[in-house]
Amino acid sequence: MMHVPPWIWFAVIVLVSWGIVGILQKLSTNYLSVESALIWLVVGFLLMEPFLYPGRKLFSYSARSLAWALGCGLLNALGAWALLAAMKSGGKASIVAPLTALYPLIVVLAAPLVLHESITRLQGVGVFFALAAVALLST
Amino acid sequence: MPVIFKQKWFWYSILCVLCWGGWALLSKLGSTEISAETMQFLFTLGTLPVVLVLLAKKRFHCTESRKGISLALLNGVLSGVGGLALFAAYRTGGNTSVITTVTALYPMITVGLAVLFLRERLNRVQFIGLGCAAVAIAILSS
Repeated sequence: MMHVPPWIWFAVIVLVSWGIVGILQKLSTNYLSVESALIWLVVGFLLMEPFLYPGRKLFSYSARSLAWALGCGLLNALGAWALLAAMKSGGKASIVAPLTALYPLIVVLAAPLVLHESITRLQGVGVFFALAAVALLST
Repeated sequence: MPVIFKQKWFWYSILCVLCWGGWALLSKLGSTEISAETMQFLFTLGTLPVVLVLLAKKRFHCTESRKGISLALLNGVLSGVGGLALFAAYRTGGNTSVITTVTALYPMITVGLAVLFLRERLNRVQFIGLGCAAVAIAILSS
């Protein structure tokens, strides 16, 4: 039987949910400005908070890990804001969208330094095709 | 100096790439110790400063349409579900570059759904993109 890495099932959930988000984003911005859509999207995140609240366990984690977790939210929102700013300052969606879709490249370049992880040559080929796919699909 | 380097939008796009690259790296670093649920909880708190600035800039006028708000809220919940799954994927210990790249392929689902439900047509470039995505997934999931 073919070996399937365990992360693939989680990746499928990400692909499907974020794939639907792409459609809803198109639809919601028919009725709202992009900024308002982003604000309400975060309100949607907030609706989930009571179900995710870890209680006292929150204080058992190291300060460093907590900072990483808060920082990843901040960077994600800053990235979304920069995307908005790029579109507003004259960037064409057909160029800005594929360009910004290349963010995994930063991870591929930084992972050996930051995470001490590297990829095999075959995975490198896969990453190349994936980056090409994201850029082409975002046009 | 190429003209593109003098364009504001170019540098905003680069900032976006750097921020989202950083988001993925910090997600992995945090996920090694923290559960996916708590990561998503903290992630949301992390987004608040930027959203509050946006809200203030808009002088709290962001209620243009009820339908739009409902769609955007649903968007948030679905984004959150995707975020949870992404943190869970990082926690499995799989290669961060591979997981980040595969999950960034979600536009292929968007394009497919747009064809199915919005009756949009695929252009030739997107068609080639889908082919590349299929090759990438075949290689990276093996």
